[in-house]
Amino acid sequence: MLGINDNFPEYALPGVKKVHFEPYADNGGSIVAIAGDDFAVIGADTRLSTGFSIYTREQKKLFKLSDQTVLGATGCWCDTLTLTRLLQARMQMYEHEHNKAMTTPAVAQMLSTMLYYKRFFPYYVSNILAGIDSEGKGCVYSYDPIGHCERSTYRAGGSAGAQLQPLLDNQIGLKNMQNVTEAPLPKEKALALLKDVFISAAERDIYTGDSIYILIITANGIQEEKFELRKD
Amino acid sequence: MASERYSFSLTTFSPSGKLVQIEYALAAVAAGGTSVGIKASNGVVIATENKHKSILYDEHSVNKVEMITGHIGMVYSGMGPDYRLLVTQARKMAQQYFLMYHEPIPTAQLVQRLATVMQEYTQSGGVRPFGVSLLICGWDGDRPYLFQCDPSGAYFAWKATAMGKNFNNGKTFLEKRYTEDLELDDAVHTAILTLKEGFEGQMTADNIEVGICDAAGFRRLEPAHVKDYLANIP
Repeated sequence: MLGINDNFPEYALPGVKKVHFEPYADNGGSIVAIAGDDFAVIGADTRLSTGFSIYTREQKKLFKLSDQTVLGATGCWCDTLTLTRLLQARMQMYEHEHNKAMTTPAVAQMLSTMLYYKRFFPYYVSNILAGIDSEGKGCVYSYDPIGHCERSTYRAGGSAGAQLQPLLDNQIGLKNMQNVTEAPLPKEKALALLKDVFISAAERDIYTGDSIYILIITANGIQEEKFELRKD
Repeated sequence: MASERYSFSLTTFSPSGKLVQIEYALAAVAAGGTSVGIKASNGVVIATENKHKSILYDEHSVNKVEMITGHIGMVYSGMGPDYRLLVTQARKMAQQYFLMYHEPIPTAQLVQRLATVMQEYTQSGGVRPFGVSLLICGWDGDRPYLFQCDPSGAYFAWKATAMGKNFNNGKTFLEKRYTEDLELDDAVHTAILTLKEGFEGQMTADNIEVGICDAAGFRRLEPAHVKDYLANIP
């Protein structure tokens, strides 16, 4: 408030209180998504936390937007809920107007614009969108809180994102490796890698753990798998 | 949309339940230059007469057949200035759609949005309805589309239609000539023939305009190209 400044304690007025409301919270969690030639897999942990405390060990962070598109969202959980509800409402409106479901690239672009609409009071959410595009190929789109969007083959996001991304770069992107032959990534390998990567995340990141849900998206639909992680 | 003094609509019901302003707008359309649209199996053609009142007019400087996006084109019958406004708005709508969904706007979606604009002008304060009917042709989802938008805001999907002067004769002519398996080339030929039915004077590549839309997108035909088609007309 007026008169109080941390740098000038001599100007502090008695009885004046500094009230501060923090609109954001960090509820933790990590997401990893991998795209193949005809599939996409996306996994997210189920731990919701605040500071050093756990809110719950069983919160799914993957949102099925359609038969072809799944959104993983972590960060501020209140923003995540509102964003996913808004996205689902917009997708329903699209379906009513167009008489067909939204394609994954269309959802990707729309999410980007929706995030930018709140450029000056952002959704504090780390988003990764995974699905099948209009040509049947797997696709992964990753976002920053204000809607920068990039399509890639693999992406790790959330609290352990920085730890996991280099591991994916090496194992899927084959970066910094010699004498390796590029081959298309089969679904089983992608799933095994996904699980290993989350085990590593749970080792070092306190906000990631408990269990993960993995959604496997193919032309035939979406399958779900649950996998247990360290609870500490 | 409402001018400063008018908060009430100038388009009001008559006792018989008609909106007379819209009827008059349709009369303005029927007095305008003939335009024709035909949907073929592999594309759509739109064409219009573009007669100039004097030899001093600079032909081909201003076009009636306009591109809205790479895959959608438009032509009109009625008042040119009203048309210009709708073309600008249609182009903006198409770009806004692309900005949102990163996909080319489906023709039906563009038509719905444009028709909504036209309807708003029949129910807003201080404005009059548009004095144009639009013919919109497009290609998306691997098939051709042809739509008409009226001053009332109503829109219709057509296989083939005519608007403007002599539109009744044109439609009768098309009813006889249209078949489901028409190819684009034949459709262009038929469209030019339909235009010729009510054409006063000699038809040349300089006083008609033709646009086609197929899987490769929309384009307005060059006068040289139109001349080739005219050469095949008796």
